[in-house]
Amino acid sequence: MNATTTGKRVLELTERGVAAPGVRADEIVIGLSPAFGDFFTKTIVDIPLAEVLREVLAGVEEQGVRARVVRFRHSADLAVIAHRAAALSGSGIAVGILSRGTTMIHQKDLVRLSNLELFPQAPLMDTDTFRKVGRNAAQYAKGESPQPVPSRNDYMARPRWQAKAALLHIKETEFIRAGAEPVELDVRIRAAQAE
Amino acid sequence: MTTMSAAADGQPVPPRRSKRTEILENRPVNLDGFVEEWPEVGMVAMDSPYDPEPSLRVSDGVIVEMDGRPRAEFDFLDQFIADHSIDVAAAPAAMARSAVEIAHLLVNPQVSRDEVLAVSRGLTPAKLLEVVKTMNVVEMMMALQKMRARRTPANQAHSTSARDNPVQVAADAAEAALRGFRELETTLGVVRYAPLVAIALQVGAQTGKPGVLTQCALEEATELELGMRGITGYAETISVYGTEPVFCDGDDTPWSKAFLASAYASRGIKMRFTSGTGSEVQMGNAEGKSMLYLEIRCILVTKGAGVQGLQNGSISCIGVPGAVPAGIRAVLAENLIASTVDLECASGNDQSFSHSDMRRTARLLPQLLPGTDFVCSGYSGVPNYDNMFAGSNLDPEDYDDWNVIQRDLQVDGALRHVPEAEILAARGRAARALQGVFDYLGLPPITDREIEAVTYAHGSEDLPFRDVLEDLKGAQSVMDRGITGLDIVKGLEAGGFSDIAETLLGVLRHRVSGDLLHTSAILTPELTTLSAVNDANDYAGPGTGYRPTGARWEEMKRLRHVVSARNPEEEVG
Repeated sequence: MNATTTGKRVLELTERGVAAPGVRADEIVIGLSPAFGDFFTKTIVDIPLAEVLREVLAGVEEQGVRARVVRFRHSADLAVIAHRAAALSGSGIAVGILSRGTTMIHQKDLVRLSNLELFPQAPLMDTDTFRKVGRNAAQYAKGESPQPVPSRNDYMARPRWQAKAALLHIKETEFIRAGAEPVELDVRIRAAQAE
Repeated sequence: MTTMSAAADGQPVPPRRSKRTEILENRPVNLDGFVEEWPEVGMVAMDSPYDPEPSLRVSDGVIVEMDGRPRAEFDFLDQFIADHSIDVAAAPAAMARSAVEIAHLLVNPQVSRDEVLAVSRGLTPAKLLEVVKTMNVVEMMMALQKMRARRTPANQAHSTSARDNPVQVAADAAEAALRGFRELETTLGVVRYAPLVAIALQVGAQTGKPGVLTQCALEEATELELGMRGITGYAETISVYGTEPVFCDGDDTPWSKAFLASAYASRGIKMRFTSGTGSEVQMGNAEGKSMLYLEIRCILVTKGAGVQGLQNGSISCIGVPGAVPAGIRAVLAENLIASTVDLECASGNDQSFSHSDMRRTARLLPQLLPGTDFVCSGYSGVPNYDNMFAGSNLDPEDYDDWNVIQRDLQVDGALRHVPEAEILAARGRAARALQGVFDYLGLPPITDREIEAVTYAHGSEDLPFRDVLEDLKGAQSVMDRGITGLDIVKGLEAGGFSDIAETLLGVLRHRVSGDLLHTSAILTPELTTLSAVNDANDYAGPGTGYRPTGARWEEMKRLRHVVSARNPEEEVG
């Protein structure tokens, strides 16, 4: 188990063994990158990963859908993670999230480099947006057609953040283990202990 | 020099700051991202101790060693380049020449382009790198002036919408075409909107100026399908990468990309590959090589695949070379090398990389001044907040500056000033033509209110919302019903836009000729082909090559406000 404490909440991720394909139609899978909640505890704009997961899970749960959380170690590529997660998902719908915050909603029958919704600018991802991602993923799982999460576009994100994103990505790739199987995680998000 | 002093309560007082420092701290350029070099992971532009030394051994007509690697150690990029990109007959003599010697051939205007090609066809990636490392940016610009494939420079624009609003895309496509762009590109925030937005781009483009080629940047299979259906006119974002793991993350190999290229060719559809410095380090697998070395591998993969041209100049990764020393020099070098191996070059300037207006312009000049096949591979024809490529180096607010710079320097960046009345007319007509097409195809309607709004709008913030979910259903029906470019032609005709229908039919018919597969091919407004074949670059020094003169120079002299010389109380037309 690793536990990370940032701000008010602690994210505890416990491995439960190799992730199996899901059988329930009312589930989605959240696919995490190799160092999510492990080496990395916050996104590129310092949003705690405890909050990120909490919001996505809450969005899914609000819709009456379940979520399994799976860590992928064999790749740090968002499309690979999200597409493989969708293949494991009972509904065929998955959310992929990299430690720095880049996110996508994928579906197992799409080609890998396509997607249902893509959030390519990690610096623009806030807790509100992560919540909406969870909600939309759950609605796709139920066969609904939600309004896509409004896309935000900061045309100065690249000048400001791209080099840092490259360095963060290089760091994440150091945690890749070739051929590693995806691992299902138990997620506990609890209040941090008082000092 | 500052001094610490103690305040009355004993706490240290912060040192006094320079007012000038505070002003400089707040300059836009200091919002840009800069990092130190880290050659071990490839975070270096063109000067890495880990780049290979050039070498080449040929045995029985086969390359058995290249840039220090024996064939047994080739990765798939080495193998593809060795087997398909390098002219084995020319290679030994070419590789025997020194880098400086080859650089002289490039820079010297009295050495012809063909003479340079006879040497460049035999050079390995490391050798090409060594050549450009001897050149400063002025020398590279001199070389680029000679080595670009098409004599007449051209330009490309983006037309996108933060809401994927097809009416907006059509109107801005028409304006961009009127201002002089000969290629237009769109993409989506929501991929599923693609069919409607691609139709809008095509209709808007042909309304603005006949013969503009249109593309929709998407996942490869979807983009190919739209091209085959004739909904789009060409393709560009067929991406290649400089290391094996990154290429695989891009879901392809050089062979699968070559196959994709041949699929376009089979339908007579123009296409080019895309690559750019910084993609490999951005994607976490630069294998310790410099950005430019890896980009040169991409250029040669493009050559080996038989593709006519390349979009490069870092492109979407420009923030990465832009963050390290000599990055923008490397970006110019990659444009030059693409041209040096006889590829069409759509030379970047298409992605935001700086908060500083000075820096944006400095990055543009190395391509604008010598001229390239497309000075920008994506000037944003919509305000940057609407640019779904996450922002371009230039947007509509820069149009007048661009036109002034053309006039100041007598340099042709392919654009022109257009009076407002003409622009309004084109925007409105494009929206009405699209309204007719949507009506004919049974797609969600475009209202007269939307047409009015888009005519006078600057961006999506000025427009009414469309029913996105209905549009997405309509988009899916376009694909399900097998709608093609010919249906768009019929829709234009049915709507009463016979001239635009005729134009689009003419553009589609060009596929049969195959002319658009030639290097640097574009269509003129008269729908004839202009390419490196019939408009070959003949630059050979002062007084030669393309120079804006005559009617074109007169057109470039026109700006928004020019005082009449004969009657200084008035402005010229």
